Amino acid sequence: MKRILAQVRKELTQLVRDRLTFALALVLPVLLLLLLSKATSLTVKDIPVAVQDLDKTPLSRQYIEAVGASLSFKVSALPQAISPESALDQNLARATLIIPPQFERKLERGQNVELQWLIDGTDANTANIMRGKAAAITQSFNAQLQPAPPRVAIQPKVRYWFNPGREDLKYFGPGVLAFGMTMFPTLLAALALSREGDLKTILQVYVSSITAFEYLLGKVIAYTIVAWAEWIAGMIILFAGFGLSLAGDPGPLLITTFFYLLCTTCMGTMLGAAIPNQAAAIQAAQLSGFLTAFLLSGYIFPVENIPQPLRFLSNFVPMRYYLDAIRDAFLRGGGWPAMWPAPIALALLSGLFFWRAWSVMKDMQVKA
Amino acid sequence: MTTLQKESADRIQAERGESAIWVAGLTKNYGPVEAVRGIDLSVRHGEIFGLIGPDGAGKSSVFQILGGVMQATSGEVTILGRSAREARSYVGYLTQVFSLYHDLSVAENLRYMGELRRLSGEEIERRGERYLAMFGMARFKNRLAGRLSGGMKQKLSLACALIIEPKVLLLDEPTTGVDPVSRREFWDALADLSHQGITIVVATPYLDEAERCTRVALMYEGRIHRTGTPRELRHSLGLKRLEVRASELSRAEDVLHATPGINDAQRFGDRLDVMVEDTTAGEKLAREVLRKAGIEVQEIRAAWPTLENAFVAMLRQRGEGSSVPPFPLKGRFLERTSGAIAIGARNLSKRFGDFQAVKNVSLEVRYGEIYGLLGANGAGKTTTIKMLCGLVEPTSGEGSLAGAVGSLRSGSVRQRVGYMSQKFSLYDDLTIDENLDFFAGVYGVPLENRAEKKRWVLSFSGLEGRGHLMTGSLPGGWKQRVAFGAAVMHEPSVLFLDEPTSGVDPLARRAFWKMINSFADCCMAILVTTHYLEEAEQCNRLGLLVAGELVAQGTPSGLKAGQKGHLLELITDNPQRANNLLKEQMERWRVSLFGDRLHVIVDEDPQTGIKNVTDRLTAAGIKVADAGEEPFSLEDVFIAVVEQMRKEGKTAEEE
Repeated sequence: MKRILAQVRKELTQLVRDRLTFALALVLPVLLLLLLSKATSLTVKDIPVAVQDLDKTPLSRQYIEAVGASLSFKVSALPQAISPESALDQNLARATLIIPPQFERKLERGQNVELQWLIDGTDANTANIMRGKAAAITQSFNAQLQPAPPRVAIQPKVRYWFNPGREDLKYFGPGVLAFGMTMFPTLLAALALSREGDLKTILQVYVSSITAFEYLLGKVIAYTIVAWAEWIAGMIILFAGFGLSLAGDPGPLLITTFFYLLCTTCMGTMLGAAIPNQAAAIQAAQLSGFLTAFLLSGYIFPVENIPQPLRFLSNFVPMRYYLDAIRDAFLRGGGWPAMWPAPIALALLSGLFFWRAWSVMKDMQVKA
Repeated sequence: MTTLQKESADRIQAERGESAIWVAGLTKNYGPVEAVRGIDLSVRHGEIFGLIGPDGAGKSSVFQILGGVMQATSGEVTILGRSAREARSYVGYLTQVFSLYHDLSVAENLRYMGELRRLSGEEIERRGERYLAMFGMARFKNRLAGRLSGGMKQKLSLACALIIEPKVLLLDEPTTGVDPVSRREFWDALADLSHQGITIVVATPYLDEAERCTRVALMYEGRIHRTGTPRELRHSLGLKRLEVRASELSRAEDVLHATPGINDAQRFGDRLDVMVEDTTAGEKLAREVLRKAGIEVQEIRAAWPTLENAFVAMLRQRGEGSSVPPFPLKGRFLERTSGAIAIGARNLSKRFGDFQAVKNVSLEVRYGEIYGLLGANGAGKTTTIKMLCGLVEPTSGEGSLAGAVGSLRSGSVRQRVGYMSQKFSLYDDLTIDENLDFFAGVYGVPLENRAEKKRWVLSFSGLEGRGHLMTGSLPGGWKQRVAFGAAVMHEPSVLFLDEPTSGVDPLARRAFWKMINSFADCCMAILVTTHYLEEAEQCNRLGLLVAGELVAQGTPSGLKAGQKGHLLELITDNPQRANNLLKEQMERWRVSLFGDRLHVIVDEDPQTGIKNVTDRLTAAGIKVADAGEEPFSLEDVFIAVVEQMRKEGKTAEEE
């Protein structure tokens, strides 16, 4: 016990001494939160649309106005000299709209008219949204032209239950915090271990009779404390800076956070124990922490969309569980009934990571 | 079991019981590489046991196994009757690199080490204070370890190893890269500890340090070849040593080397050590050969062989030569004139914040000259070198380099300069071949010469056919050799060497100096810093740097002649006690122990001095076997000057 405490104290002293690491520990997560929560947004807004109006009648202009009135699109005219395809090629617009000649006349005669929407499909997600928007605008335009209600049997009434304003910040803000708590505690813990291998101070530790368990636990405790400090700083930003608030009981969130921070620290410990080289350990922490959290946790892309062999891998990504929990706490407020699996899964993962670290270090000897 | 077998088994059993450390049949393989090939050792309680051998002999592996931090492949290790791993709580282990936490203070380092060993807070405090006081560093308790000088760091590491009050101390090259003054203090501390009954095993590349050991083992290629007291080893050669001082030393060395009847001739500082079977016959032969070659002999003295002689002789017998492959010169050297100034400095100063690292240094080095810069750790040698070769901008003053003034970093100047930095300048994660290719490319070595140059570097480093090895896996001394080779491949006209031989074994050190001398012969200007004062003797001129100031300049013999007082050498029956006693009674710097010989510097004339010192020792019951005056060595000069400056309060080093 005494040796564990000695280890904890030494780690914390070193961390405070080393200004660079200290800044890395506290300033970077806050910066990341400020930057990423503002930058990550999937809302489609002000997409440039180039319009070629070959009709030039009040009705065609009315349609164009309807497109421009939508928040999603920003309309600009495309001279006839430039073909719509080349407008997309040259990246002048993400979509072009061509209104054929005789647009108004045909409509007034009650004939069917075809409008062309040429949508840049490079970004499939945005293209999809544009298609939907274009359809919706056209539908409501049709409705205006023919005020008689269409004879439909089913009328969907959609209402957004959680996050009624569909604000991205409420969804991504806590997500970024979860993301930061994967990146930084993992990185710091990995560095704390690999540095001892790099500078050969590990030999002095081997010479003493401290066990691998005590040594690793000391490191994990120290860096979990640091992770808590980071988490609290992040929460302050979310509350005070972004004006977010919890939707329900904070108890489940605190407990889940405890296991999450423990888990990411253990992951770093495992990496650092296996890689006695600081540069390589940073790479490993970034690759396994950053990449998996970004891609496999549901941070941006829902886990359900990940194809099978990879989706299995996502079970080992701690952020996956925490993301559910923290989003629930901020948006749904479902409490224990919704959250209980997360802390259990995180505790199991922590155990797995710590055990791996321990099995690498257990001899406390130089490997030949 | 026959009686004889039983007797010998009993004897082994008894010896094992008596030994502090007992090693039998120890081997260690790293994959296909056999680092340790069967070692038997027995270290007695309370002795200082020295393990000496060239780089890559397997010393560090032995230490790691004894320290219980690495598994042996086979063999038996018993420390204080336990296995190495179980004995860890009685063993203090000092690794080759400073294993301190640089971002923790002195006190915090001690505390962490103590707490890992389950000591109580008061205990750590008490012991910590005692050892810090013993090493004269109580004032630095709150300083960060990273900001201590090399010598101080090493003493702190020792204090950390001592905090558990170990019964056995394992020290793996504790004084590599530490300046002579600090080395001396470190060894005095070791002598004290051994006096208190601690068993010490130490590896060192400095053979003058090995002379202070109780017993010494010579290790080579994973085996131990000879064990004994320094005296036994010296005498086991069966040869006598002649110290020859003559006019042209390098030529005299070659001439004597080629003479049948003379076993060995080696340059050692300002003299030649000539090994012969019989003193009188040998002296006659040497005088005759040298007279025939037209070399004037100034003095020939008979003396006992040194440990270094024994070591070199052993390596020679093992077929390890110090023959240096000739440098494949491509003729670019010829563009310079001998005697022109290659490196010039006028009043160079450098400030880092409020720290004055270098003050008003002025010096000149001509083509064909070897200039040695001596100084303790932190005296400003590296900063001076960096200013001279244009890597660091001086705060004030002006330098000139290879004819250029002011801007020293132009391409054409850089092409004519070679620089070997103190830290290995090679990439650890490239192979030796890749490193050499890279440096040949960077320095613009013509393509057609590259293969030959690379072959030369490998053969100079003793690594023929091993160019595919990872540089990081080489022992320090070999890396130094490769780095040296890489720095001269492009045939520079000015060469800067920052401690080229630190951590290099004696034989390789000689090869370095042979090479350096041969470069100077073809008009290269060389500026070198070194901690080995016997090497400094080979420089044409020397500058002594103390606290950033050049306090003395001159030829080695000039500096020695300028030293005030007389140097007495005494041989006593208890050198350690005599050393301690005299240090208490006189100023500490006047007394030092060289192996079993005591050096004392006195101001009065030699006869009175000998009488006074002998009286003091006899009064304490110490017998003086022999006493006489000796010429000053550079080390004496160096230590005296540093002490003089320290008295005047000029050492900024540890303030």
